[in-house]
Amino acid sequence: MTASMSQCLMQMVHTDYQISDYQSAITPRWCTGCGDNAILTAMQRLCRDEQLPPEKTVCVSGIGCASRLPHYMNAYGFHGIHGRALPIAEGIKIRRPDLHVFVTTGDGDCCSIGAAHWLHAVRYNMNMTMLLHDNNVYGLTKKQASPTSPKGLKSNTTPFGATLNPLNPLSVTLGIANVSFVAQVPDWIPELLYDVLSKAYHHKGFSFIRILQRCPNFMNHHFDAAVQDPLRIRMLTHSNGLRLKPELSRIYKNQETHDPLDLHRAQALAVLDEEIPVGVLYSNPDVPCYDELRKGKRPNTPQLVETVLNEEFDKVGIWPEGQQAASNGE
Amino acid sequence: MQVAQIITDPQVPGSDASAGAAALTALRPALFARYMALDTLRYDYPLVLVEGEEVQKPLIPLSQIVDEALRLVAPLGPDGEELRQQVLRLEQRMRDKVAKGTEEKLSELWRISSAELVAESGQSTFGPLDETLERAWGAITVDGRVIGCSEATPRKVLAHVWQAMHHMRARKFRYKVDRLVLKLNDILKSDHIKSDEAHSPGALAQSMGLDGDKSIDFSALSNILHRVRPEDRLPADRVARIRHVLQVLQTQAFFGPGRATFSYPDKAVCYSYVFQSCTEALDAYRDRLPSVIEFTKALAIAEMEVENKYVPELHDAIFESFDESDLTEEQMAFLPPAVVFLRDGVTESVELARAYEALACGLPIKVMIQVDDILGPTSPEPPRNSFGAGNARLASMAMGINNAFVVQCSSAHMVRMQGDLVAAMQYGGPAMFSIYSGATKTVAGVPAYILAAAATECRMFPNFSYDPSAGNDLASRFDLSANPQLERDWPEHTLLFEDTSGRRQQETVRFTLGDFALADARYHRFCQTVEAGSWSGDMVPFDEQLKASSSATDIKRAFVLGIDRQNQMMRVVVDDKITVAARRCNDAWTQLQELAGINNSHVLAKLAEERRKREALVVELSTESSLTQSPDEAKTEPAPGAPVPKTEAKAVEEESDSAVAEVLDDMPWIETSRCTTCNECRQINDRLFGYNENMQAFIADPDAGTYRQLVDAAEGCQVSIIHPGKPRNPNEPDLEDLMERAKPFL
Repeated sequence: MTASMSQCLMQMVHTDYQISDYQSAITPRWCTGCGDNAILTAMQRLCRDEQLPPEKTVCVSGIGCASRLPHYMNAYGFHGIHGRALPIAEGIKIRRPDLHVFVTTGDGDCCSIGAAHWLHAVRYNMNMTMLLHDNNVYGLTKKQASPTSPKGLKSNTTPFGATLNPLNPLSVTLGIANVSFVAQVPDWIPELLYDVLSKAYHHKGFSFIRILQRCPNFMNHHFDAAVQDPLRIRMLTHSNGLRLKPELSRIYKNQETHDPLDLHRAQALAVLDEEIPVGVLYSNPDVPCYDELRKGKRPNTPQLVETVLNEEFDKVGIWPEGQQAASNGE
Repeated sequence: MQVAQIITDPQVPGSDASAGAAALTALRPALFARYMALDTLRYDYPLVLVEGEEVQKPLIPLSQIVDEALRLVAPLGPDGEELRQQVLRLEQRMRDKVAKGTEEKLSELWRISSAELVAESGQSTFGPLDETLERAWGAITVDGRVIGCSEATPRKVLAHVWQAMHHMRARKFRYKVDRLVLKLNDILKSDHIKSDEAHSPGALAQSMGLDGDKSIDFSALSNILHRVRPEDRLPADRVARIRHVLQVLQTQAFFGPGRATFSYPDKAVCYSYVFQSCTEALDAYRDRLPSVIEFTKALAIAEMEVENKYVPELHDAIFESFDESDLTEEQMAFLPPAVVFLRDGVTESVELARAYEALACGLPIKVMIQVDDILGPTSPEPPRNSFGAGNARLASMAMGINNAFVVQCSSAHMVRMQGDLVAAMQYGGPAMFSIYSGATKTVAGVPAYILAAAATECRMFPNFSYDPSAGNDLASRFDLSANPQLERDWPEHTLLFEDTSGRRQQETVRFTLGDFALADARYHRFCQTVEAGSWSGDMVPFDEQLKASSSATDIKRAFVLGIDRQNQMMRVVVDDKITVAARRCNDAWTQLQELAGINNSHVLAKLAEERRKREALVVELSTESSLTQSPDEAKTEPAPGAPVPKTEAKAVEEESDSAVAEVLDDMPWIETSRCTTCNECRQINDRLFGYNENMQAFIADPDAGTYRQLVDAAEGCQVSIIHPGKPRNPNEPDLEDLMERAKPFL
């Protein structure tokens, strides 16, 4: 194939992207101590390590603190409307499968107004990575209860405490048809955050990562128990999942070997009460991808569109005797 | 020669020349008896050349299509029996039509035949029979021309397979080229959008579409639009290069546009790839070579431009010097290969030499040589012992070229070999097909299919394939498995017959070249029939004669079993010439077997040697053991208590606690790998705290800040990873208080 020649020639052009190549001119305006910073850094590290050309990378978001992330990435970005990040990302991916698509969204954006899109995006299983920055609260609008807020949380909308039990994004995602990748990781263990993001990026299909994200202003100390007590975190390790480095393994001693193909165990782990499961809960690369199934046999060139339309019109056309629509050979 | 004398000597009992000559006119091998009424049998023909967009199997026998349809629509048992019988009658009708020379698409043949059956049954159209046949047709998902087995079959089949592969190649080609055209146009379009021309009032009005009420002032709109600096536009040489590449891609003449008629408005007439001679094919290849080179360069440049990786300083020189010698096999395989149809006996022999030359050069060419006569003429003066020496060995010779895909088979086995036919057509390099049609003109009254099958059966024209892309060794490349009874010299069959008293008898016979030659009128002059009453003890079956050494002095008359027009069986004594030809045929077969790893002589010799050595050793050991009690030296287990060597590497020891403590010492430090990049510390002092290449904090310069700043940062750190150490400046104010606050972080 000619590709081999062009690939050889392209290798003559050396590219060496650094983290700074993915940093936009805008300095992040998240609050000091916000977990979003760690997520942004992990994404930039991934882009550098995978040497993703900025012009081939797209970050799509909805509305919320998390959704500011595309502004801080020097790549293509789309700061969409509330809850609608996923349909936009799907449109980009199906039209430009060569792009690396990342979706950043918050618990309000995804699990409330954008819940329907979330369910169908999991079902479509298109090849992209979704990062759910879950700080359990609406932060951008100064503290309102979100679908994942803990029961009893006093906020501007729930002054007497949140009435309902929180929605569990993990168990919801694991229950959707065609789910292919689900992971959970906290923002305060950067190495793990990077590893999980890397796993998700390399997964073929829709990768869903729930990131437990600290909000120092409106949910201060909410994750302190887990930050300060490593035993509260159950590390899910496996040769096909997360592999802990010795230094982390010494700190996080509460470990379980979990096969990411074991959906039933993943569903049980997703609803653990006292502990936080961290790692790849489910990963199945064999789930069909909607973008691949719907891939056309030919690129949709304007000429092809015109031809197909003409063919359709010709079906109901009336031809003078002895004439008919021109047929095309090879 | 001695045998021949006996046959032709009229004094020898049972060798009546005139009676024998009469019987010989309708002579054929006894094993043909069961298959002579071929039209009533269900076998690989009629064959459907399946058409369609993505054909997995381009050749499907009609009987197989019918069976599949019946499996779907006719329930097992009596319920489906009537339907089954009606559809099978329809199949027989179609079979008869094809045998008489009808060649139609399956859908048309089905329609005509079912209309005839319905008319014959006296039922009306849309009656029960018509409905039944229509229902069966509904279960058939393929269509294509239906052909019988004849002289023209090999070419039709190969042309069909080539066409199917051509369509597949065309789809792949168009996908790639169209995608590149689309992307290159996008690049030009995005540049054009920045131009003054695109910002002109006229262009803006055009892009807006209809503006019925004229409510938009496009001149004003044009004036307020941001002007792009010249340096933000694409370089002129890049635009020119992309335009040139687009021109080449869109005017290529290797494949037609397919459905998108308007894709290539300036498209030249497509190149022709089907030829009747290698000379024509090679001339055409030379003619289109400049276009091939230009297109290949354009394709590579397009791929690089799309990735924005074309650097003129680096790549211009490479593409300027790109010529024929730089074309790779993959690049040529992207374009259609030529197919050449040659015919042994019709094509001039110089063309065969050219074919081998083209194959050896690795040119993208597929050559089919159709062989109609594998035994060859016997008169007026054939070279001595040359029967079948040439035509049946064309493929074996091509295998020696090594880089060509080679397929040899007879018409009767093309369905079975279709995987190889398809693979050879898809193969990136050259390929050669040697096909025996079975339509030998000197063989009268034997269907081409039977003769073709018999040629394979008697090892004269074995089926095999040689695929250079399958691996590096013969075991991967060479496949002989599509032959009957692979491990035998000659296939064995049970022949059933009645004796003169009408009793059923059976005999095991082997089908040899002698049997095959019996069907050919030219070879009857080397045969002599012997009536049953004249059979004598000096007659031996032909295959046994072949097993005997060629220098044996015991004179026997070798015979094969033949039948006449009335299926009367007789022994036919054959000449020594046929024996020699059969031995040569067997030699060639044995060599193919060896290539396929069957009875490999090297392996057999090695095995025999090893066996001999082992037997000698056993004899030696038994002799020794009978003389002395041999010590138990073979004991391999270590003695109890013996030291066991260590096999596992010693685990790496962790750094000692004291070393860690030394590192910590009194210096401030940060657990960098746990930093979450929250920027809090750097907001306190961005010279004291720095970020590493992963954007994680570390102490950049411990003297660039105060101890107070270190302690403040440690307290503010969300993940408590900053350790302030001990104060470096003993004169700093409030040190005691600060050290107290630093204690939790030391």
